[in-house]
Amino acid sequence: MIWLTWRQHRAQLLVTAALLAAFGLLLLGSAVEARLYLAGHAPPGCPGPAPACWDVAVALADRYDAVYTIFGWMPLVAPALVGAFWGAPLLAREYERGTHRLAWTQSVSVRRWLMVKLAVLGALVTVAGLALAVMVSLWRPVFLRQDLFGNIGIFNMVGVAPAAWWLYAFMLGTAAGALLRRTLPAMALVVAGISVTMFALFSLSDHYAEPARAVLSGTTMPDDSDARLVGAGAWVDPAGRELAASPAGVCPRRPDAGQSNRNQEAYQRCLFGKGYRYAVYFHPPSRFWRFQWTEAAILTAASVVFAGLAVHRTLRRTV
Amino acid sequence: MIEFHLDRGSGVSTYLQLVHQVKQALRLGTLRPGDQLPTAREVVESLAINPNTVLKAYRELEREGLVAGKPGLGTFVQRSIGGARLADHAALRRDLDGWVRRAHAAGLDRDDMETLFAMAMVDCFREGIA
Amino acid sequence: MTVTLRTTGLGVRYRRTWALRDCSLALPAGRIAALVGPNGAGKTTLLHAIAGLITPDAGSIGITGQVAFMAQDKPLYDTFTVAEMLAFGRRLNPVWDDAYATARLAALGIPPDRKTAKLSGGQQAQVALALALAPRPDLLVLDEPLANLDPLARHNVMRSLMAEVADHPTTVLLSSHVVADLRDTCDWLIVLNGGRVQVSGDLDDLLAEHLVLTGPAGLADGLAARTRVVEASRTGRQARLLVRGAPVPDPRWNARPAELEELVMAYLGSPDAAALPALSEVDA
Repeated sequence: MIWLTWRQHRAQLLVTAALLAAFGLLLLGSAVEARLYLAGHAPPGCPGPAPACWDVAVALADRYDAVYTIFGWMPLVAPALVGAFWGAPLLAREYERGTHRLAWTQSVSVRRWLMVKLAVLGALVTVAGLALAVMVSLWRPVFLRQDLFGNIGIFNMVGVAPAAWWLYAFMLGTAAGALLRRTLPAMALVVAGISVTMFALFSLSDHYAEPARAVLSGTTMPDDSDARLVGAGAWVDPAGRELAASPAGVCPRRPDAGQSNRNQEAYQRCLFGKGYRYAVYFHPPSRFWRFQWTEAAILTAASVVFAGLAVHRTLRRTV
Repeated sequence: MIEFHLDRGSGVSTYLQLVHQVKQALRLGTLRPGDQLPTAREVVESLAINPNTVLKAYRELEREGLVAGKPGLGTFVQRSIGGARLADHAALRRDLDGWVRRAHAAGLDRDDMETLFAMAMVDCFREGIA
Repeated sequence: MTVTLRTTGLGVRYRRTWALRDCSLALPAGRIAALVGPNGAGKTTLLHAIAGLITPDAGSIGITGQVAFMAQDKPLYDTFTVAEMLAFGRRLNPVWDDAYATARLAALGIPPDRKTAKLSGGQQAQVALALALAPRPDLLVLDEPLANLDPLARHNVMRSLMAEVADHPTTVLLSSHVVADLRDTCDWLIVLNGGRVQVSGDLDDLLAEHLVLTGPAGLADGLAARTRVVEASRTGRQARLLVRGAPVPDPRWNARPAELEELVMAYLGSPDAAALPALSEVDA
């Protein structure tokens, strides 16, 4: 059964391994090059919190813009591909080709056939996700960015997140294939499902923990750039009350034209000067692992549900 | 060794055709006591018929004492047909000649006689006589 | 006589309609059974239920021993080579006669390293058949094994199957809607009509006990009252009846044993008629 799983799915396994390797090489190449660049251009004391290091980080970002943008779409595309190419065809292809009538009339029971495939492929997909996470976590610090938590794109590519997403996508795809029994519609369903899930978890993530509250004087942004802001902040009047809206009539306020925010900044400086402070709600980066495990738990639980759905549907046997 | 052939359109059941062909071979002497009949598999390979049919034919021949099956070795001819029966044949042939002449005298033509004979054969064999 | 396959009151429902209804039959061991019936009668549904692909909604299926199945489209994995298909069988079945399967395909001239998608229809059928025979099943179920094959391939497949059964007695149940293919090879007949089993019995016995009577139309009704008529038709002054059981011999009627095709056609045309042995008889 292990041999059969390998033989039937070796295309997916090999392509995924190749893509991971290619991605790894890309990361490695850019990291090596970045190191060389830093050695030539970085001021002493960097990486570090000093403002001078910010400039160098920005320069790096510009230089490797193309690589950075991968992190914009990969957290969505990678699971979608896993779901579409590992998950959807698992059952749908057997139904489409009629080979289920061959596979399920052998001495191995349907239950065992499916369980072994789900277990082996599920494990492999999880390992692949972990490998990706390791590669990205090694790569990111080279670019002097500590944004593993604040940047959702990066967050989804480190820790246990990719493994959880990929396992979820695989099980979702398999369930879609079990339900629809056609590969292309199952692929479409998986892509839609991943998108919906991603959006849902993104909205939900604010609530993984009680947000911390900090009251700032002189700035509306918390110190730690890697923090996740929750909602908009609120002004706090000199008496200490949190206001529902910007205080009226205290400072003159003029709208800004175009890209500039000079008027906005002037308004804020005026308020701070009058003793107002700004309250922000946020999740500090120390909550990184808590959020990772919370999201992984949700996705894993959903994986189990979809796996169960696929098994149940398949064993119902009305073909 | 005998080679069987099948006349699919004849209306005679397959196993009977096999039995007849063995008996014919015995009469003609192409099969002699001690000869081995083809295995069921060999017959089936050449004719693409049900192996049970072959076994049924061989069992019928065994019942009539013409062949005997030796487990693991095959089916072998036990005795031949003919000889003592020749006297019966001569007497029957004379009766048949008499019948044909009587039928002809009664006005039956060849087709009438063949139809009558065929009906008699069918009735006779169906009733289990012979 | 042991019974390899027994179904009792088998029913399979598809949405609102019953594809199979109250199907009971018993197939003795070692028989090669033909399942015939019009398209849509439920043949494939019945075979799928026996093969374990469908769970029945009513009734039960009892099989003595292992079942092997070959579906109508003779499915194989496209990207597998012939050798890999045999490896598939070897790994998924504890009982597997690999030497036999390899030798058989070699004797047929099918190269083991060719991808199954590149084989001809007849060769694919032979590979699929080898996959079904190698586990040495007690019951071999074939859904229209000769469909979509050219006449030579049909003959070869049938011949291969018969030769295998000659060497290793197996009970075979195959469906076909071309009755002519079956006369020489099958010794048990099952007629399925409108989801019900109409006929199930030894083929030679069935043909012996069904007669085609032709005679004067005027006497037809009288005869019908005294015997079981399966099908009756009239043309002018002549009537033709297919009856079950031997009526009192009457020289005005011409009687001959029925042939397989007319027997099947007669029953298919008369859905209320049935020729089923009492199931207990089969156990004797």
